[in-house]
Amino acid sequence: MLLLIILLVPFISGLFLFLFRKKETVRILALAAAIVNLLLTFSLVFSDFHATYSVKWMNILSTTFGLGYDGISLIMLVLTNLLFPFIILAGFNRHQKQVQLLNFLILFTQSALIGVFLAQSGFLFYIFWELTLIPVYFILLLWGGEGRKAITLKFFIYTLAGSLLLLFGIIYLFQLTAGVHTTDFSAFNQLQIPENTQIWLFWILFIAFAVKMPVFPFHTWQPSTYTNAPTQGVMILAGVMTKMGIYGALRFLLPIVPLGVNYWQNFVITLCLIGVIYASAIAFRQKNLKTLIAFSSMAHISLMAAAMFVLNTYALQGLLFQVLSHGVVIVALFYMANLIEEKAGTLDLSIMGGIKLKAPNMAILLLIVVLGSIALPLTAGFVGEFLMLTGLFEQSVWFAVAGGAAMVLSAIYMLYAYQRVMLGEVKAGFEKITDIRTLDFVILIPLIVVILGLGIYPQPVFNLLEDSITSLQHLFLPVLDLIYQH
Amino acid sequence: MKEITSAIQLIPLEHYILLCIALFSIGLMGVLFRRNTIVILMCIELMFNSVNLLLAAFSAFHSDPAGQVFVFFIMVVAAAEVAVGLSIVVMMKRNVDSVDINLLNRLKW
Amino acid sequence: MVGFSQYINLAWLVPAFPLLGFLITGLANKRLKYNQAGIVASSMVALSFLMSVFLFFLLRSYGQDKATVTLFDWISVGNMKIPFALLIDHLSLTMMMIVTGVGMLIHIYSIGYMHDDERVNSFFAQMNLFTFSMLLLVMGANYLILFIGWEGVGLCSYLLIGFWFKNPSYNYSARKAFVMNRIGDLGFIIGIILLFFTFKTLTFTEVFAKASTFQTGAPVITLITILLLVGAVGKSAQIPLFTWLPDAMAGPTPVSALIHAATMVTAGIYMIARSGILYNLAPITLNIIIFLGLATAILAAIIGLKQNDIKKVLAYSTVSQLGYMFLALGLGAYSTAVFHLTTHAFFKALLFLGAGSIIHAMGGEQDIRKMGGMKSKMPVTYFTFLAATLAISGIPPFSGFFSKDLILSKAFEHNIILFVLALGGALLTCFYMFRLFYLVFYGEQRMAGINPHESPKVMTIPLIILGFLTVFGGFLNVPSLFGGSSAFSAFLQTAVIENVTEELSHSTEIILILISLLLLILVILYAHRIFIKKAFVLADDGEPMTFTGKLISNRFYLDELYAFAFEKPFGRLSDFLYKKIENTILDPAVDRIGTGTSELGDLARKLQKGNMSFYLFTMVAGILLFILFILII
Repeated sequence: MLLLIILLVPFISGLFLFLFRKKETVRILALAAAIVNLLLTFSLVFSDFHATYSVKWMNILSTTFGLGYDGISLIMLVLTNLLFPFIILAGFNRHQKQVQLLNFLILFTQSALIGVFLAQSGFLFYIFWELTLIPVYFILLLWGGEGRKAITLKFFIYTLAGSLLLLFGIIYLFQLTAGVHTTDFSAFNQLQIPENTQIWLFWILFIAFAVKMPVFPFHTWQPSTYTNAPTQGVMILAGVMTKMGIYGALRFLLPIVPLGVNYWQNFVITLCLIGVIYASAIAFRQKNLKTLIAFSSMAHISLMAAAMFVLNTYALQGLLFQVLSHGVVIVALFYMANLIEEKAGTLDLSIMGGIKLKAPNMAILLLIVVLGSIALPLTAGFVGEFLMLTGLFEQSVWFAVAGGAAMVLSAIYMLYAYQRVMLGEVKAGFEKITDIRTLDFVILIPLIVVILGLGIYPQPVFNLLEDSITSLQHLFLPVLDLIYQH
Repeated sequence: MKEITSAIQLIPLEHYILLCIALFSIGLMGVLFRRNTIVILMCIELMFNSVNLLLAAFSAFHSDPAGQVFVFFIMVVAAAEVAVGLSIVVMMKRNVDSVDINLLNRLKW
Repeated sequence: MVGFSQYINLAWLVPAFPLLGFLITGLANKRLKYNQAGIVASSMVALSFLMSVFLFFLLRSYGQDKATVTLFDWISVGNMKIPFALLIDHLSLTMMMIVTGVGMLIHIYSIGYMHDDERVNSFFAQMNLFTFSMLLLVMGANYLILFIGWEGVGLCSYLLIGFWFKNPSYNYSARKAFVMNRIGDLGFIIGIILLFFTFKTLTFTEVFAKASTFQTGAPVITLITILLLVGAVGKSAQIPLFTWLPDAMAGPTPVSALIHAATMVTAGIYMIARSGILYNLAPITLNIIIFLGLATAILAAIIGLKQNDIKKVLAYSTVSQLGYMFLALGLGAYSTAVFHLTTHAFFKALLFLGAGSIIHAMGGEQDIRKMGGMKSKMPVTYFTFLAATLAISGIPPFSGFFSKDLILSKAFEHNIILFVLALGGALLTCFYMFRLFYLVFYGEQRMAGINPHESPKVMTIPLIILGFLTVFGGFLNVPSLFGGSSAFSAFLQTAVIENVTEELSHSTEIILILISLLLLILVILYAHRIFIKKAFVLADDGEPMTFTGKLISNRFYLDELYAFAFEKPFGRLSDFLYKKIENTILDPAVDRIGTGTSELGDLARKLQKGNMSFYLFTMVAGILLFILFILII
């Protein structure tokens, strides 16, 4: 029941927002709902009680409306519910049209995302997976920047087309299940699919997730969408929705088509690492700060995708740790980018400069976030990337070198961006910039505390994940061992 | 009635079928290749009637009156259709002063 | 033993003090008035120094060699268990005392040097953070904690080099330092991971215990040591990653002193000395280190001959001296390298602080062509600078003599060619240092309009203390030749495993010392002749130079070469990927699917001509095809 409450609190409180007129009241209520949900999530984390929820639903598909979680879902849940209060806070004191609708859509997205992470059957998963798109589509369309129509449409159709293959995959798996057909994950996990089938089924399932993450070369919707999305939209997209792709791949690919994963492993890792280098290289010459951050995000996500297919404990732990850390870092980065855009009126790196002189506090906070992004030790980014590199190394030295090169490249372009924005003499037109306000501190300081806290003491996250990762590995490692014995 | 049935059965079924095919094809060719709308309507009638004839023949050979019931249905529908079709032709004549079917090409895109 | 374990657990205080100082000066940013930030920061480092000394005597009084202090489990995943632990042994104690001792003096000096800078608080915050990172680096009990400090000093150097961030070229230097370090760090982290998979642990004591199971020259050990070396080359500014260090002069002078003397560049030396057991197993790597060290020592010394910026000269001398330390490491004489590191910390800190004092007096001018005649105006600076110059040149009985002589004799044991080359480098060092010395302190003042005066006490007292250390620091390790007992080396013996060769006989050593001494004196006389007797005036920037002169004063065009070979192609690659691949292939390919669909629709639309007969015809054709299809099936 607790899970159902967590799932529905944002959506239902979102509906209530329409009863109120005053903008600030609406925002405070939305924030309150998000915080309540965060507290409920923490009660899940810190209690031994294992909540599940299941009712009969749609006999014809013999599908139950089943919610449940393990450590992996929990990490995703914590990430989602941790970030949404800040995403809602990001709207405070800002001039926005239709505040009720906007906050409702944000809370709606939150509910849908929670649904994705809690769903226990492929069918339910797919419904929530697609449901996330609807509110996000409207957020991008109604509050986005210039050229939003074409860009949003592209984003929508691209991800939808990817998902269609996933639907096909789910139906295919459905009719493979033994006895009364069902789409429950527990039934999917027990399927013994012949290797030839797994080889093509892998791509059917993977492309949906590859588009969502995104992995090279399915990424082209991402930079323009991130650049033109409204702040809160891009925070949702980059912070949580991309992680959906990783979560989905973990749920669908590794346990269900292990032989396919095994067959395509090196190919996909190479593809992801090409994406890492490719995105890093492109980020280096970007003029627009948000586009640069978008490419840097793609580089990090690609590294996570590469680490997923390594399949060993280090990589999986590092990957899921990085999910948390990257979500927090990228949300903080995009928030800062938005602040800079608000204050400077531009995102063009070639004309900015010297903002640190006018806004020293903003400069310090941005520097800390940037350092988190380039994986400096004692920030959360380092722990995740180190473990992922260790995992990649076990597969091949060159994978680790390519992944490590991303660390060097990220230092180059992120510090370059930092320098262009903050350092140097104050450029003409930026004399009137003011430093950040209390509200910005309220958003950024907790995020930074999380970044540093996880970097200094990451062990609780690993403990949370340990059992789930072991049981996930139990689903595919025996199959792979069998292969290697032959 | 028995005499008519036996009289019909004097001619083998294949001949009816061939005749109907011939009539149907003539009608079809007329529909496809003539441009005069009235002629097209007449050709459609011809196709109807070839089918009617075939239905009647089969009905007689199989001793099943259902086929003849269909024939009457078709005749009624054909009469209604001709009424609608001819009124369209009249409207066409009034509007474009021609009954050439190729002039009716506005309904596109 | 109860008392010992209780006290040793206080070791975390050593890095904690500077961290506390960083937090105080950093967070209380604007509220600290006047010198408060400097005093807080200095006293934190001083407390840290006292704590280190306390630990030193603690270990000594309990007769312990080493102690590990585990704070908490940092990363524990699968088979990987990395505690957040500190290792206190003789090597880390030595480093701790150098870092905090010399660091403390530099902090105190900075109070005077930076007193009129508007961002003095953040300056001290960053200095404290720097000290903290360096302490973590030398105290870490495993490679990953070492790596925290390793990257941490990289970050702090980035912050401090770019301290005056209004100047774009300073920012560029800062970024260059960080990126070059990161390139080295990539090798280092890969090395750490390989180390982990080889030994299943990263803790120093466990790794070294297991190392004995490997044979000398085992390929995996060679690979590990080479990868770790890549990191050390970046951090300790060796060929080919040394160009960031001279550029690092962009920061305030005390920062240069901190980077060059006590922290940062010594990290690579420390790390290799720490991993001595591994390096002993990898003779190939040792040879590479010898080669790199010697080449760097000589190349940097040659470049130093032609530099006109006082800090640049000192910077290249650091690169060159680091080359000597590498040479010692490569010869397996780890304690000798650490000894040279120690004496170098004394005299190089002194040189930089002295240079800072001069720059301070000259109102920010750094060009030695404009200085001169400072001897009478700045007596304290003059005498301390003289001591440091003599020390770096290797004149007995100054500290540099003992350490450099030890390296030279080790080189002689190994190979006479090494000795000759190393001695040649030492002579070059002697020449450019005296060139600097004479130009700055003798002759006429060559820039009008300013009136240099001695620095305030808060700056001169650290100079005097460092001067004292520079003069007498060498007596820490008096070799048996002079009736000493090599106390310093003996102290390190427990922590550092040397790759020992047989000792030279005393007579050979005396001959070597006499030869080098004679040559050094000749060089000093030559410098004296040129710069004092002839009052040689250096050419201005505009004047034509010989080809070699141009080559040397432009630092062999290495920066330009790197820009040409790496930066530009990478920029072009980036442009190519973005403009050619992303924007003309990948993105349009996706859009093409969209436009393609709509074009297909367009095509189908064309069929709807409105021609009745055509509709009928297609209908009939369709029916016929359908019938045909059914008949065939």
